[in-house]
Amino acid sequence: MSRSYLARLTFALIFLSGALLVGCNSQSQSADNRPASSAAPQTTTGSTMPVSTPAPPHPAETEAAPVQAAPTKASQASAPQIAPAPASTVAGIPDVDPHKTRGSKSAPIVMETFSDFQCPACKQLYLGTSRQLNDNYVATGKVFAIHRDFPLPGHAYSRIAARYGRAAAQLGRLEQVEQVLFENQEKWEQTGDVDGTVASVLSPADMTKIRALIKNPAIDAAIEKDLALGRTYSVNQTPTTIIHYKGQTYPVVGIVSYDVLHQFLDQLLKQ
Amino acid sequence: MMQSSPLNLRRTVVLLGRLFLGATFVYAAYSKILHPTFILHPWFAFKFAVQANLANFAGEVETFKFVSTANAALLAHALPFIELALGLLLLIGWRVRYWLTGVSLLLIVFLSVLTRAYLLRLDIKDCGCFATPEPLNGMTLVRDSVFLAAALLCTYFAFVEARKPHPWAAPS
Repeated sequence: MSRSYLARLTFALIFLSGALLVGCNSQSQSADNRPASSAAPQTTTGSTMPVSTPAPPHPAETEAAPVQAAPTKASQASAPQIAPAPASTVAGIPDVDPHKTRGSKSAPIVMETFSDFQCPACKQLYLGTSRQLNDNYVATGKVFAIHRDFPLPGHAYSRIAARYGRAAAQLGRLEQVEQVLFENQEKWEQTGDVDGTVASVLSPADMTKIRALIKNPAIDAAIEKDLALGRTYSVNQTPTTIIHYKGQTYPVVGIVSYDVLHQFLDQLLKQ
Repeated sequence: MMQSSPLNLRRTVVLLGRLFLGATFVYAAYSKILHPTFILHPWFAFKFAVQANLANFAGEVETFKFVSTANAALLAHALPFIELALGLLLLIGWRVRYWLTGVSLLLIVFLSVLTRAYLLRLDIKDCGCFATPEPLNGMTLVRDSVFLAAALLCTYFAFVEARKPHPWAAPS
């Protein structure tokens, strides 16, 4: 093999690897560089859809049972008159729906969690960290927790699940619905049976109200508000938790174990 | 008589190769240690962010299903710092042939693990390679193969050049 051939081969290899590296990164970074309104966020463990490709609507989302369909004029007319609670501002954080919060508003730490019911990492965070956090920090008045909906476009049933979550929150049933949706995530993400999953923990009377509530356009509007708020924080993955303390903001992306989080919260409280 | 010029072809290749691979390894380490949670100040928050990021990376390592959960955590806490050390040593340029050998071996391990996962059709939603989450696909394998080929070539050239007297050494 001649020297010149080797030299050409080497330069070609190095150039190619550089181009590949730049290409791969620019493909995914382009999503982050786009205007926030069009960026396709992804789960922490990565979305199954390419970041730069908007996810097509899943057939099940459009062909699902009428109760899961997007609100229509007819359905709006039959929607119950349970108006979503007026959103308030807590510690400078706008649009806080009191139905989607836990703990005392006067808690020194405020944690906003942008979550997607169909995201496996969100499930892991909920099952592994959130419960202990609720018991030891929220219930003791140290943390005020806010749940934010951030349904990802790559997940076919995220939006539907978010609607059910929101509707259940209006009835004060968010905890049960959140738990059943996360615990049975693998099942309903295969079948799309969000309604059946939620119905398994609620009474028929509550389900009737929820089925009517999800048709209320205010539910979708509230989800959109959460999405817009997430974009202002540059949220592009779920779960993302924004920790507010004494005017400082600490964005935490992904799953955080309780052991690591509680050390951090204790350090914050000592400040 | 000097047997090689200060900047012959092989030396140029090794220089460019080590700068490229060094920068890539430093970037890969930075991605794992400081992403996705990026907090630099105060110190305890920085420590928390690094811990959270390494725990996230451990989760990604676990999805490859080639080590246990405990070993995945151990590996996730060691690998980014090994990458950082190798990257910096390559950029510095001291005893390059040894660090290039290390990089080549590491890339062989990476490529083997990725190929195994690809062939087993494991659902890897983020290969954990760099800061931006990317699913494991054919392009990932091609890219890593190119890195490995470049590392092997640079290693070979570095050893060949090391056998020759240094062009600037005093004549004996």
